[in-house]
Amino acid sequence: MAKREIPEINAGSMADIAFLLLIFFLVTTTMDRDKAYKRSIPKKIEIEQKDKPEVEERDIMAIRANSKDELMVRSEIMTNPDEISDRILEWYRFNEQSNDVSSNFPLYSQITMDEIRSQVANAEKEFEEAEETPDIAEDFLTFKQAQVDEWKKKERALKLYGKPILREISQKAHIRVEVQVETGYELFAKIQSEIEEAIFELRDEKAKSIFNEGYGTIITRLAADGEKEDKEKFELLKILYPDRIIEVKPKN
Amino acid sequence: MSKFKKQNKKGAPGVNTSSLPDIVFMLLFFFMVATTTKESDPTVKVTQPEGVKAMDMTPYKQRSEIDFVYLGEPRNPARRSQFKFGYALFLDNVAQPNPGDLYNTNTISSWKMDKFTDKQGRLTVGIEDVITCIKADKGAPSGIIFDIRDELQEIDALTVAYAVKDNGNL
Repeated sequence: MAKREIPEINAGSMADIAFLLLIFFLVTTTMDRDKAYKRSIPKKIEIEQKDKPEVEERDIMAIRANSKDELMVRSEIMTNPDEISDRILEWYRFNEQSNDVSSNFPLYSQITMDEIRSQVANAEKEFEEAEETPDIAEDFLTFKQAQVDEWKKKERALKLYGKPILREISQKAHIRVEVQVETGYELFAKIQSEIEEAIFELRDEKAKSIFNEGYGTIITRLAADGEKEDKEKFELLKILYPDRIIEVKPKN
Repeated sequence: MSKFKKQNKKGAPGVNTSSLPDIVFMLLFFFMVATTTKESDPTVKVTQPEGVKAMDMTPYKQRSEIDFVYLGEPRNPARRSQFKFGYALFLDNVAQPNPGDLYNTNTISSWKMDKFTDKQGRLTVGIEDVITCIKADKGAPSGIIFDIRDELQEIDALTVAYAVKDNGNL
């Protein structure tokens, strides 16, 4: 057979094809990512609570907005919503180093590693006892299990923290968002943004001093692959600065 | 006696375009990597408010652990009067009245439940962790947000997210 030269493929239309694909992707995709604030809704409880739990005024960081989009933070009327985050920071930090009982800010409790360990043992014992009791309510068991998990989480957190004592903000301390039906969503979102900004700043500062990396890096990685190491870091930061946010349903 | 010879009538030499496909492909790959697919264009007008430090929802989207609800004024002005406050919900390509109008029909909860049962097999999390992302317009009354939350609470879908346009960089 005679040696035939392989004919060259005409690639002149390659550019056209590629352009077509490029334009298709330009049209069907978007650059901006969906950004949002994640919040959880409390679980519905069937039983009507008769006496409301007592919460001291110092433990409430109330942010209120009315139908005219006027703002009130704790007992102060505010015109500039950008200052909300500063108030939240102050509220978290005021008693962080040492408790001042006369102030109107949430108090901190402290606990040592030994105390946590004994609490873990205690909770485990109670759970086992509950398990052995015949005809025990399922809910009660779940509750006891949750307590064991809670203390174990604290034990892990303090180990990671590497300090002798864990200072925790009052269990009842929370941020309360109260809006009215006609409050604009823009202001509502602004309040959420300010809360997030404050919590981010607190946790970021802590994360940088303990782990030498930003809080943003940790949560981005956690959302993407959910590794155990990052989860523990996140848990510790969450114990140090919990984001207990209560959004009150407006009355009609 | 000109120093410069007049060019023959050759015409301009052709530009070599053999590397054009390479350049275009490079652009193509860049856009494929840097962008995400667009969702359906809602029939309600949504101008998102601005916020900082918002969480990126892309990982949840990739695992389809998120559903989107749009809340805004209908683009068709004739329809605005049909809805309470003039704002409508947009789910699954239909503008629906906001839940304040239809308390007994449970628009949101039945929609969410349907979506969840559809993809239940592919999910690793329960309904309480499947995010419902509310993309609301700046002017929307916050009361509607709480109506949506109420309906979600009924079916134990306990995670919501409020969408904003992030103007900070994370």
